Amino acid sequence: MTHATATVDLMRPPFPAEPGSGVYSNKLGMWVFLASDVMFFTALIGTYIILRFGVSQPWAHPNAVLNVPLTAFNTFLLICSSVSMVKAFAAISNGDQRGLKLWLLITILAGASFVGVQVVEYIKLVGHGFTPAGYREGSLLAEHAVSDPVKYGAATAGLYGSTFFTMTGFHGFHVTCGVISMTYLYLTKVLPGKYSRQDYRGIETIGLYWHFVDLVWIILFTIVYLI
Amino acid sequence: MTSVAATARVPHAHHDDRSFIRKYIFSTDHKIIGIQFLFVSLFFLLLGGVLAMQMRWQLGFPGKPMPGGGLLPESMAAGGVILPEYYVQLVSMHGTFMVFFAIMPLLVGVYANFLIPLKIGTHDMAFPRINMASFWAALAAGLLMFASLFVPEGGIRSGWTNYAPLSARPDLSGVTIGELLWCVSIVILGLSSVMGSVNYITTIINHRAPGMTWFRMPLSVWALFITAILAVLALPVLQGAAILLLFDQTIGTHFFDPVAGGQALLWQHLFWFFGHPEVYILILPAMGMVSDIVANGSRKPIFGYHSMVFAIIAIAFLGWLVWGHHMFMSGMNPTLGSSFMVSTLVIAVPSAVKVFNWMGTMWRGNLRFHVPMLNATAFVAMFVIGGLSGIYMAATPVDMFIHDTYFIVAHLHYVLFGGSLFALFAAIPYWFPKMFGRMMSERWGKVHFWLTFVFYNLTFFPMHILGNAGHMRRIYDPTQYDFLKPYQPMNEFISISAFLLFATQLIFFVNFWYSLFKGKKAPQNPWEDNGLEWSLPSPAPHGNWERVPTVYRGPYEFSSPEVSDRDYLPQNEKRPTDREPASTTAPSH
Amino acid sequence: METTQHELPNYMLIWLYLFILTGAEVLFAFEMPISQLVKILCLMVLAIIKALLVALFFMHLKFERWRLRLVFMVPLPLAAILVLAVITEKLW
Repeated sequence: MTHATATVDLMRPPFPAEPGSGVYSNKLGMWVFLASDVMFFTALIGTYIILRFGVSQPWAHPNAVLNVPLTAFNTFLLICSSVSMVKAFAAISNGDQRGLKLWLLITILAGASFVGVQVVEYIKLVGHGFTPAGYREGSLLAEHAVSDPVKYGAATAGLYGSTFFTMTGFHGFHVTCGVISMTYLYLTKVLPGKYSRQDYRGIETIGLYWHFVDLVWIILFTIVYLI
Repeated sequence: MTSVAATARVPHAHHDDRSFIRKYIFSTDHKIIGIQFLFVSLFFLLLGGVLAMQMRWQLGFPGKPMPGGGLLPESMAAGGVILPEYYVQLVSMHGTFMVFFAIMPLLVGVYANFLIPLKIGTHDMAFPRINMASFWAALAAGLLMFASLFVPEGGIRSGWTNYAPLSARPDLSGVTIGELLWCVSIVILGLSSVMGSVNYITTIINHRAPGMTWFRMPLSVWALFITAILAVLALPVLQGAAILLLFDQTIGTHFFDPVAGGQALLWQHLFWFFGHPEVYILILPAMGMVSDIVANGSRKPIFGYHSMVFAIIAIAFLGWLVWGHHMFMSGMNPTLGSSFMVSTLVIAVPSAVKVFNWMGTMWRGNLRFHVPMLNATAFVAMFVIGGLSGIYMAATPVDMFIHDTYFIVAHLHYVLFGGSLFALFAAIPYWFPKMFGRMMSERWGKVHFWLTFVFYNLTFFPMHILGNAGHMRRIYDPTQYDFLKPYQPMNEFISISAFLLFATQLIFFVNFWYSLFKGKKAPQNPWEDNGLEWSLPSPAPHGNWERVPTVYRGPYEFSSPEVSDRDYLPQNEKRPTDREPASTTAPSH
Repeated sequence: METTQHELPNYMLIWLYLFILTGAEVLFAFEMPISQLVKILCLMVLAIIKALLVALFFMHLKFERWRLRLVFMVPLPLAAILVLAVITEKLW
C-alpha cells in the first residue's frame, strides 16, 4: 500500500492521486480561471465588434481622438513587463533568488507605469471631451466632430466612447489587480526568500495571469487603436 | 526527508481545536461551506415561493385585496390590492431569486461543495480559502438582491431576464436603485460561481483518490464537473452583459440604445448565450444525483453508464448552440433562427438517452421506494413531460404562437420544479445523514412527496392549456381580455392548487429543521450505497479521511455476483481478487 | 518543473519578434496605402501572431501537454460563435 512518506514534489499534482492534468493544482486552477476571463473579455470585445460592424455611419479614425504613439509605447512597456516576468520565472526555476527579486520588481514597476500612462491618457481624453457617453457638449472634440464628422465619427461617437472606456477600463482593472497581487507576493514571499527551485508555484501562477493580461492588450491595442 | 503534505491540508480527523468561528462561520471545510449554502438557499427558495403566492393571488383573484396585503406599503398594494407595478416586480424577483439564489446554489453550491471531495476520495477542495470566498460572495450577492426589495421603487420590473432597453432606462421602467442592485448582485454572484467552478474542476481533475479513474466516478460527480465547466465559461458573459447594462444605466453609455447606434437585441444575445448553458447548469447536477439515487433504489448498476457520461457531455456541448430559441420572436434573422431550431431539436437526443437509461436501470430492479427514490422517480416522469413540451416549442412555427405564454411557464416549471426541485427533494434527505448525522423522517417525507406531487401537477399542468389558449406571461389582469375571460376559473384553480402546494412545503421545512436536532441518529451507510462518502462516519469528520482511500471498482456495483450476502459493494472495499491501482502520481526524489 | 523537459526558449528573441511585429502593426495601420479590409486582415493576423508568441512561449503552452492547451482553447470557438451569430443577425 503506497502512502506519502517519501518527499512530495510540490511542482507536481498531489500524491497519492490518480494522474490528472499532470500539472499542479495552482497552475491548472489559474488556466481554468483564464479560460473564464477569455469569456468575460469576449462579452466586452465581442460587443465592440458587433456594434461597430452594425453601424452604417463611419467610425472615428483611430488617430483622431486617441494618442496612438503614446499607447504604442505603452504596449511596448507591457510586452517588456511580460519579458521581465518570464525572466523572473526562469531565474527562480534555477534557484536564482537575486534574479527573481530583480526581474519581478521590474515587472511590477513596468505594470504600474502602464496603468499610470493609461490614467494620464484617460484624464487627457476626458479633458478633450471624450467620455463614455460620447463627445461632451461644448468640448474640443465636439467642435472637431462638427467640422469633420467623418474623421471624428460624429454619428457613432456615443458607441465609440462606450466601447473604448469599457474595454480598456476593464483591461486596466485586470492589470491593476495583477500589479497588486505581484506586489503582495513580492513583499510576503519573494523578499523573505520563500520561493525556491523546488517550489516556485506562485511565481509561475501569477506569471500566467500577467502574460494573459498582456495577450488581451495585444488584441485590444490592435482593434481599438489601429483599426 | 520528512513527509510534507502537498498543501497544508493535514486532516484533523480526531482532534479539532479550531474556534467556533473558524469551524462554522469562516470555515474552509467544503462540507461546512456546502451546509452554509444549504441554509441560505433554502431561505431564498422560501422567499421565491412567497413571491409566487402573491402572484397567484392576483392571477386567481384579480383586484381582490390579498390576505396580509395590508402589511405592504400603499405604493405596492393599495388597500391590500396588488398594484400592477408591484405585480411585475413580483414576477421579476420570483424568477431572479429562484434561478440565481435558490436552484443554482442548491444544486451546485451545496452539492458540488459537499459531495465532490467525499465522492472522489480527498480531504478537501483544491483551494479551500477560495471556496470559502465563493460562499461569502454568493451571500453578499443574495443580500444585495434581497435589499433591492426594500429600496424606493423596489426591485426590477423587467422580468428575470431584465431585457434592455427597458432595463437600461430607469425613466421608463420606474426602477433606479433596484436595477443597479440587480446588476451589481449578478456580477458578484458570477464571481462566486467562477471561484467555485475553478475549485470543482481542479479538484476533480487533480485530486481523485488512487483507483478513482474517470470512468469510475459517480454520475453525480461527472454531472457536477461538466456543470462547473459550463458555469466557468457562461457566467462571465452574463457578468459582462450586466456591466454593460450598469454602464448604460449610470454613466451614459449606449450599448443597448438604438438611437445612438446601440443594439437592443445585443442584450438578448448576450443574456441567452449565458442563459441557455445556465438552464443546463440547473438540470445536469439534478440528473447526476438522480442517477446515483435511482441506481441505489433499484439495487442495480446504472444502465448504460458510459452513454450517460457521453450524454452529459453532449448536452453541455450542444447547449452552447441553442440560445436563439429563446429569441424566435425577437425579429432576428430567420435563417439564424432555423439553425437554432435544428440544434434545439438535436439536443433532445442525449436527454432522451438519459431518460431511457433511468428506465433501464429501474426495469426489473429490486425496487426500494424510500423517500429519495420516490422523488427521483418523479423527477424522471416530470422531466419527460417538461422535455416533451420543450421539443414541441423548439419548432419555430409553434413557438411563434406560444412564446411568452403560459405554455412556456408550464415547460420551465416542469423542468425546474418537476425536474430540479424534485431532484433536490431526493438529494436533501439522501445526503442529510452524511451532513448532519441524523435521518429525516421517512414517514413525513412520504407524505410531503405525495401531496407535493399531486398539487404540483394540479398547479402546473393546466398552464399548458392556458398557454395554448393564448394566455400571456407576466400580465397583471387576465380578465381585461375577452378571449381569456372563459379561462379565469382555470386560473383560480391553479392558484388554489398553488396555495396548497406551498402549504405542503411546510411539511418539508418542519421535517428538515426538526430532524436537524431530533432526527433519528444515522448509521454510517443508511442507504446501503457504494459511494466513498458512505465509508465515513455520519456526519463526516473534518478532513474526511486520515488516509486517502483506494478505489477498486465503479460506483454502481449493486447486486454484484461477487458478493452473496449483500446487494451492494462499496468502491473502496478490497476483495481478494482486486489488485492495487497501477497509476498514482509518483513522487520525484 | 515542467512535466516535459525542454530547453528554455530564448525569451529575448521572442521579445525582439514582438517588438518588430508591434512596429509593423503601427506601420501598417497608418502608412500603408491599402484598402481598409486588407488592412484589417493584416492587422488581425499580426495581432494573432503576437498573441500566439506570448501564449506559446511566455505561457509555455508549446511545452505543456495537449490537455492543458485544451483548457485555453475551449473558450475560443465559443467566443467566435457568439460574435459571428450576432453579426449575421445584423446582416439581415
